[in-house]
Amino acid sequence: MYPRPFHYHRASSLREAVTMLSQLGEDARFLAGGQSLIPLMKLRFSNPSHLVDLSFVPGAAYIKQERSALHFGALTRHSEIENSATAAMLPVLHDCAAGIADVQVRNRGTIGGSLAEADPSGDWATVLLTQETELRCLGPSGERTVPLRGFITDAYTTVLGHDELIQEVIVRIPPPGSGGAYLAFKRSAPVYPTASVAVQLTMDGGVCKDAVITLGCVGLTVVRSEGSEAALRGHEIDDKAIAAAMEAARAAADPQADMRGSVEYKRVLVAALLKRAIEIAMRRARGEQVEVSHIYA
Amino acid sequence: MSGSDKTWVGQSLSRKEEDRLLRGRGKFVDDIKLREMLYLRFVRSPYAHAKIVSIDTSAAEKIPGVICTLRGSEIASQTQPFIEIAPDPGGRIRDYPLAVSKVRYQGEPVVAVVAESPAIADDGAEAVLIEYEALDPVVDAEQALTDASILHEEAGTNKVWNGVFEYGDVEQAFRDAASIVEIDRMHFHRFSSTPLENNVVIGQWDPKDDHIHYWCNNSFPSFAIQFLAAHLQVHIDRIRVQTFDIGGSFGIKITSYPQMAVCALASKKAGGRPIKWVETRSEHMISSAHGNERTFRDTRVALDNQGVITAITSRHIDDCGAYPRYEPLGCVIWSQVFPGVYRFKNARIDFTQAVTNKCPVGPNRGYSRMQHLWFLERVVDICAHELGIPADEMRLRNYIRPEEFPYTTPNGCIYDSGNYPKMLEMAKQLIDWDGWKKKQADARKRGRMIGIGIGTTLDSGTNNFGQSQIVNPGAPFSGNSQGANCKLDIYGEVVVAVGSCPQGQGHETTAAQVVADVLNINPDLITVRTGFDTERNVHTGFSGTYASQFAVSGLSAVHGAAQKLKAEMKRLAAFVLACKEEDLEFGSGAQGPEVRSKSNGRSINYWGLANIVNVNSAVLSPELHDVTLNCRYVWRAPFKVPDTKKKYGNLTMTYASQLHIAVVEIDGETCIPKILDYVAVDDCGTVINPRIVEGQVYGATAHGIGAALLENCVYDEVGNMLTSTFSDYLPITPVNMPSVKYGHIATPSPHSYSGAKGMGEGGAAPIHTISAALQDALFDKRIFIQDSFNNPDSLFRALRGETCRAKDLVKVERRA
Repeated sequence: MYPRPFHYHRASSLREAVTMLSQLGEDARFLAGGQSLIPLMKLRFSNPSHLVDLSFVPGAAYIKQERSALHFGALTRHSEIENSATAAMLPVLHDCAAGIADVQVRNRGTIGGSLAEADPSGDWATVLLTQETELRCLGPSGERTVPLRGFITDAYTTVLGHDELIQEVIVRIPPPGSGGAYLAFKRSAPVYPTASVAVQLTMDGGVCKDAVITLGCVGLTVVRSEGSEAALRGHEIDDKAIAAAMEAARAAADPQADMRGSVEYKRVLVAALLKRAIEIAMRRARGEQVEVSHIYA
Repeated sequence: MSGSDKTWVGQSLSRKEEDRLLRGRGKFVDDIKLREMLYLRFVRSPYAHAKIVSIDTSAAEKIPGVICTLRGSEIASQTQPFIEIAPDPGGRIRDYPLAVSKVRYQGEPVVAVVAESPAIADDGAEAVLIEYEALDPVVDAEQALTDASILHEEAGTNKVWNGVFEYGDVEQAFRDAASIVEIDRMHFHRFSSTPLENNVVIGQWDPKDDHIHYWCNNSFPSFAIQFLAAHLQVHIDRIRVQTFDIGGSFGIKITSYPQMAVCALASKKAGGRPIKWVETRSEHMISSAHGNERTFRDTRVALDNQGVITAITSRHIDDCGAYPRYEPLGCVIWSQVFPGVYRFKNARIDFTQAVTNKCPVGPNRGYSRMQHLWFLERVVDICAHELGIPADEMRLRNYIRPEEFPYTTPNGCIYDSGNYPKMLEMAKQLIDWDGWKKKQADARKRGRMIGIGIGTTLDSGTNNFGQSQIVNPGAPFSGNSQGANCKLDIYGEVVVAVGSCPQGQGHETTAAQVVADVLNINPDLITVRTGFDTERNVHTGFSGTYASQFAVSGLSAVHGAAQKLKAEMKRLAAFVLACKEEDLEFGSGAQGPEVRSKSNGRSINYWGLANIVNVNSAVLSPELHDVTLNCRYVWRAPFKVPDTKKKYGNLTMTYASQLHIAVVEIDGETCIPKILDYVAVDDCGTVINPRIVEGQVYGATAHGIGAALLENCVYDEVGNMLTSTFSDYLPITPVNMPSVKYGHIATPSPHSYSGAKGMGEGGAAPIHTISAALQDALFDKRIFIQDSFNNPDSLFRALRGETCRAKDLVKVERRA
């Protein structure tokens, strides 16, 4: 299928892009990597009259460390993060970037676009919600910094104004003794996960000082499993604690049945993924190098 | 190479077509752009079953660049419905390429919009308004057979065909049985193939000479033109079909003739401008063709006290979707492998086919036989588990024995050759059967679920179209044939043309290997023209590429044409070189390929021979005026018309076999099945090109693993297709593939000139094999695999005791 006719605008700066969008009105959309928007337009599910392309804005894609945080330009492609030594400081970011869809999608799709799209099956929000993440946003009235927690309000819905965009994603580097992991089950590379889990554990010896646990693809937005966190926080992470965390995740998940699985199966799956993610995060918290690959079947 | 001790056939030559295809220089239909070409988009039904109340195309026709629209009622008034292969009641179905008064599946084309560009055609399609009145949808074949809601009023029933296939003495076998196993219901799921290239048609109905020209990727063009000529009411010679490189078909592109008809009729309406239709992936998923879905009911199996199966009775219900099209041929094609690889003599299969409000089926790779072979392998494994006989031992007791070939099946098919025990032995060795058995026992103690499954499969090739008379005694088809042409062109080039339209099978290479051996020249010197073209005039009514037959029908035709050419070259060379034909030898000399006389040492190269016949013919003596060096040969399969009353006769020429073993572990926490080890052993008789055969085996294995674990066409209860994109329908990808061990034996076929057997489909061996492995992993939990499709969610439900419970499915009666 071909999209409906539309006007294409190429912005030379993010500020110009914002101005263009406010002038063009409700019928205009930003175009970043296009991995969601273009297919929707080709299916004619989304029919904007104007696209403002951000891809040619100079200096909008970068990965750098500033003091205790990693900064990602919003137009940074998944594949750039996958292959970045700087981003590799947080192995959980590599887990995510390297496992998004297939090579073609990773070469085009952007971290900012993914977060702004807020697809319930997207990968980035699940991972970054376990981190201290802030988004530097730009709108007609200027810049504002928004914590990622609270940014996504519903499926495909964020606090961004229509003519506001994400400029930068800032992820604070966790303290030593902290480790994260992101694990998804995907039936094949190009499809969204059936379920996914992100875990960040801060350990003090064998005891869990802090835990942040999120579940992906099992709700209209990312599900934070506070019950799972509580089951680990302040405890030795043993089989019993893990079983309690799994049970809490199973209860917290609010999935919908679809071709990827039934409600009950997704609950069981997300709990099983949590167990594995906890094990990996613990090893990473101890300083071990652990390679993670999603589960494909 | 000059000596004749070495042959080209049998060598792992790189494919001649590879250079072109891998460098992106292949020529596919969508690469063709014609002057004044227009583009067509279909408006499709969102309903599975509905009456068309009104169609309003006025807004679409007002869009600048929209040339015209076409609807079903216009087509019905100027054409005949497509041929139905079925007798009554199925034969009463009236099938048009656009819905006329009602729609019968989601995605059925209702209106065609023709425009100056594909984007404008999409705009036009969006502006077409169609009002529907929903009718009760029927999405299950057994439900369809109640006729509560009828798809085709003119047929009066949803039943397309029914027949009983009975052989031997079933009642006696059950009276004598030591045990009887009953299986309530099993189900073979609906899946398809997802060729990289979707259907593409360019059609032009030229008003100047009333000639219809197609550039398309239909994979059985000689079948398509027979359907199109009768439908469009034109002389078949006025339809020209050309195919080019084709990016996969797997049988799915056989039934693109309705879209071909629309393109021609739209071209006629648009004043003769060529019309291109390029199918989108979503269109392909909802409305190209799916594979046949089949339900097996009330199966009873009689066994003797050794676990040898003596009789099987069963009721099979096949779901062909909304229109039969190539069906009900599938109602007999399964019987090419009636007993599978097994020796039982007594059986009664009551076979029924029904229409449902789903995408019409097409002959998907493994067509109709794989459903039956899966059924038989399930029967064998369920009986083996219930009787406590190991899966390998059960097979050895029941296999047709090597010394019994050629083996006549209860329904008169003649299995040419094979050695199933030897294949089993080889597969067991390659996978380390004993080692895995030990690992399985250890793992089971620790609560892990590992299963080892065997699948034995037949890939029957080169079929006898006389089997169509078993479904319809009035069908005017029997036998099988293929044409080829072999010539020396004016400058002496060797050029071969075949009536096939390969989609990756390497016909250019294997045909060149055959001709190279006949003429004793290098295959690089031979040009092979593949891709169908009616005006090349090499085709017969069976030409195309389908049903695992090129190695037999195609290469037999090529071989015959090459020999005919060689005989003419000999007569001519004997005259020119003034020697006896017996003194001549073929080979290559300083001036290229030549014929030389052993008696006088003189020689003539191919240019010299071609020169005399084509442009220097005054030197020719009159008794050689019949020599053209342009030789058409039609190969005919030695078939007889089957006995239609007894449903008895030889239905296929060759039977390639595959033996696969899979080791699968089901994760206890995630229920994800993982293939830990896999072996594929095949036997396709004498191998023309081992590298091509091995590639086919890997491809068929991937396709089958995909079908077993990933690929499933799902409809909801009102007939919405839920798997219309690659987010929900999952073609297998490299991340899903295990590494496959490969083994090969060769039992040459006595039925083909070269000993080769067709092997293009691979019999969908992994589907049975993975079902067997999953059942082996779960049997001690009293779970039986009853569906050919299993994914983590379905295994989860089985493990929770919701489905597949042995006590609901299987009953065993043991008598002394």
